[in-house]
Amino acid sequence: MKITLTVNGDRYERECAEHHTLLRFIRETLGLTGTKEGCGMGECGACTVIMNGRAVNSCMVLAAEADGAVIQTIEGEAKGPTLSDIQASFERNHAVQCGFCTPGMVMSVKELLASDPHPSVDAIKEAVEGNFCRCTGYTQIVEAVTELTGTGAKGGLDHV
Amino acid sequence: MLHPFRYLAPQSAQELAAMLADHASDGKILAGGTDLIPNIRNGVFKPSVVIDVKKLPDASSLRLGADGLSLGPAVTVNDILRSKDARERYPVLCACAHELASHQVRNRATVAGNVVNASPCSDMAPALLCLDAVAVIGSGTGQRELPFREFFTGVKKTALKPGEWLDRIVVPASSAGARGSYLKLKRIAGHDLGIVGVLFVRLGGSLRFGVSSAAPTPVLVDTVTAKDGPDQAAATVLGSVSPISDVRGTKEYRQHMIGVFVRRLLAEVK
Ligand SMILES: Cc1cc2nc3c(=O)[nH]c(=O)nc-3n(C[C@H](O)[C@H](O)[C@H](O)COP(=O)(O)OP(=O)(O)OC[C@H]3O[C@@H](n4cnc5c(N)ncnc54)[C@H](O)[C@@H]3O)c2cc1C
Ligand code: FES
Ligand code: FES
Repeated sequence: MKITLTVNGDRYERECAEHHTLLRFIRETLGLTGTKEGCGMGECGACTVIMNGRAVNSCMVLAAEADGAVIQTIEGEAKGPTLSDIQASFERNHAVQCGFCTPGMVMSVKELLASDPHPSVDAIKEAVEGNFCRCTGYTQIVEAVTELTGTGAKGGLDHV
Repeated sequence: MLHPFRYLAPQSAQELAAMLADHASDGKILAGGTDLIPNIRNGVFKPSVVIDVKKLPDASSLRLGADGLSLGPAVTVNDILRSKDARERYPVLCACAHELASHQVRNRATVAGNVVNASPCSDMAPALLCLDAVAVIGSGTGQRELPFREFFTGVKKTALKPGEWLDRIVVPASSAGARGSYLKLKRIAGHDLGIVGVLFVRLGGSLRFGVSSAAPTPVLVDTVTAKDGPDQAAATVLGSVSPISDVRGTKEYRQHMIGVFVRRLLAEVK
């Protein structure tokens, strides 16, 4: 079937197989490979994109369901060589190690900050609870957000 | 990877009924997909047609009316948490919603899909049972209503007949203002399916417990009275469930923790 959707501000009209996931469509049909597949079944969050304003696991959405949707992926963050605020804060705070979880983490944080520009540490943890980081950089990830929003003191997260 | 199937999106109840009739054996309804898609991927289901109910009229409607809170089949678990009406009048619904899966999963997972999936560890079922919620069931020949007390018939089995779908969930006005708390034991601090979950609700003078992951279906226990002490209450709840040992925990651990949760909840929810 043919679907039309907007990804990072660009409109695409493409053929898609009805059994393809949005994740597969983004990576293979559109060639935007920043979004990752970890588990393929909702557990890890590596595939997180923003669909109509909400962070979703693109491995559990069919491309067909995204007909008419507005999607944001990690490719929409940096403008040329200039990182987005969230990306830059992740970099400054060493919130990236291997980087596999990062595109999904950034999308989850982006959804949170759009509705709550000054989230509590608990709200930050809840926003990324479905994003696994196996390099275990959670402390730095939360610090990257609190530094950006001024809602927590760096180094004061002994309870993370 | 998913095997090839067709995607259909009915725009009306009549269209949905016709599609379900045409695909009685090879069709599967799709709501949020957070159970269905992993199950297709894992080969548990091999539908040749997937029928999306999210484009039905009013599918996403979450409305407070004279009869109570009405939830269409596309209302997500996070829609509940974002609803001022749900937070103010049905805090018990929110307590359970908040414990379900992760934030991203909750953005897609529907309340309807959660109960039709009928997993023993469903987190929304305890709330719907304790709040006397009603399933409005659609079909090609009209609607029928069934209290959730009669909805769950076995592990992953419901009272839905072939050709029927869950059209709406109504949480009655008489349950507004019920107070309660849900304790869910998990292996990790973040999102996880429950090892056991106990919801306790005070509704008027009535005491209710909704228990997940402790029997073939989610269980409602409404036989504890205000005169019962914590030990008697725990014994009554334990007498109504039949936990088993599995990968997430042993039968003995589950029994012990149900007792702990019942005592804790009685002290916590006044
Ligand atoms: C990582 C992860 C963690 C999870 N954690 C939890 C958890 O903690 N607690 C919990 O309870 N669940 C959990 N789940 C399971 C799942 O997210 C929920 O059960 C969810 O609410 C299912 O809703 P859905 O809209 O995604 O259903 P779908 O997957 O779309 O559908 C589920 C089933 O119901 C049928 N169906 C759906 N809607 C209707 C309808 N209106 N009428 C008739 N049939 C219908 C479908 O055919 C399918 O068989 C988890 C899932 C994942 C992937
Ligand atoms: S790849 Fe989607 S959640 Fe893991
Ligand atoms: S940085 Fe490696 S998984 Fe998070």
